[in-house]
Amino acid sequence: MSTLAVTPARVLRSEWHKLWTVRSTWINLALTPVLTVATAVAVASAYTPGEGADDIDPVLLTLIGMQFTQITVGVLGVLMTAGEHATGLVRATMTAVPRRLPVLWSKAAVLAAVCFTVVLATNLLAFPAAQIHLTGTPLAASLTDPGVPRALVGNAAGLALLGVLALAIGSLVRSVPAAMGIFIGGVMILPEILRMLPYDVVDRAVRYFPGKALESLTHAGPGPGLASPGTALLALTLWAAATLTAAAVLLQRRDV
Amino acid sequence: MITAHHLTKRYGDKTAVADLSFTVPAGTVTGFLGPNGAGKSTTLRMILGLDAPTHGHATVAGRAYATHPAPLTEVGALLEARSVHPGRTAHHHLTALALTHGIPRARVTRVLELTGLTDVAHRRVKGFSLGMGQRLGIAAALLGDPATLILDEPVNGLDPEGVLWIRTLLKRLAAEGRTVLVSSHLMSEMALTAERLVIIGRGRLLADTTVTEFVRRSGTTTVKVVTPDAPALVRHLTAPGVTVTGDTPGTLHVHGTDAEHIGRTAAAHGIPLFELTPTGASLEEAFMALTHDSVEYAPAEGTHA
Repeated sequence: MSTLAVTPARVLRSEWHKLWTVRSTWINLALTPVLTVATAVAVASAYTPGEGADDIDPVLLTLIGMQFTQITVGVLGVLMTAGEHATGLVRATMTAVPRRLPVLWSKAAVLAAVCFTVVLATNLLAFPAAQIHLTGTPLAASLTDPGVPRALVGNAAGLALLGVLALAIGSLVRSVPAAMGIFIGGVMILPEILRMLPYDVVDRAVRYFPGKALESLTHAGPGPGLASPGTALLALTLWAAATLTAAAVLLQRRDV
Repeated sequence: MITAHHLTKRYGDKTAVADLSFTVPAGTVTGFLGPNGAGKSTTLRMILGLDAPTHGHATVAGRAYATHPAPLTEVGALLEARSVHPGRTAHHHLTALALTHGIPRARVTRVLELTGLTDVAHRRVKGFSLGMGQRLGIAAALLGDPATLILDEPVNGLDPEGVLWIRTLLKRLAAEGRTVLVSSHLMSEMALTAERLVIIGRGRLLADTTVTEFVRRSGTTTVKVVTPDAPALVRHLTAPGVTVTGDTPGTLHVHGTDAEHIGRTAAAHGIPLFELTPTGASLEEAFMALTHDSVEYAPAEGTHA
């Protein structure tokens, strides 16, 4: 048997175990495909050509349920960090791993991997399910059309990064309701408010905000007023990385 | 061995722990005592690296807790507040902690047995009573089979059965040669299990001693004397440092001298004695006397409700 010691791989296994042994994980992850596929089918079957929706991106239309997924991955991320403060589990965790940072990296890695996989699988279900109702319309598209696979994968990557962003916010503010408030307010509401301001520069900046970057990633083709998928992915990665770095710095400094 | 070197913790203007230094020798059970709010939990959290000291540092087996490659095998800790996700089962909680160190699954099963939780191992912690919660905390502390245990107020809020269980456990851990640092605000509880005492009040060290030494030095040893000629005996015993009190006629409580002196004095003057009983000082009284000035919210004397 190998010697007893804390290693990054073992902390990763511990966090993996923790994620799957609470009900909230299963609920959140089950809601993701259910809501996304149901919304995709509902929107696709309600679509009538020639009623002004013809120039919507077919992938964006199909994955419109990502509005819900933003919340489910956000809840999952916040519960992994702020949730431990709410229950007091963080004291046991940090006593077992007193160097602390491996815990944060492991949580982020586990969450990103799980979110990416679940959302990608969901997207691969939702897109064909919606297309059944869209054959012969201007929005008909196939999985092999240019930009479609990239958008389906990009959406999964974007939502995984949003989950990491929520996890980092949870670690920073240590309160589940406060973290959810900041996450929903910052990612889903703030960009919409800022876009109403009549300044061009604000409008351009908002493209790189997390919620808007996710929208860019979900487009098969270029959309008006959107960043390119590459830039959007970079922006979203920077948001998540910067917040996670701030969380790491404070995790090292603060009392648990 | 646990060593605290000038540990100090300040929160803004308030000093929770001030220049606290003490040593918990290996293989002893040391009681860590102080009134509520004395800084016991803060000190224990600093030893475990959960709180960073404003000044000073603490070591476990010669180095800071956080620098040990396998901390759970050095120190097992039961913290005062619950530190478990209520939705996870006891078994899963312990497994998650064990995985961080590569502790085998068999050890999880073993600590569940040791703490009598086997039957409820697959139930969610949400439904656990306070006593079961404490047992789970102890199980977590024992996971790494550590040489040192830190237990913060382990009997707080437990029913008599739970208190007895903790007492028996402490004795067994001591018999196994483990170092135990156990905090309490009840002196009587410590007298049953601890051999050494570290007493703090308002974050400062008041005493670092053994239980026997503490009792001897506290100077509250009383001798109960029953005699038909109390006034005469009192007259002959009167000396500086000796006080005599009596509640019922013929019964005296003598402080400041010992039974031998009282007996010889009585014999020398032909005073008959019916009873001569040295009564060990109540530890609780000695403790209260020591910490009297450092109780955080002491009731003002002479006030009546």
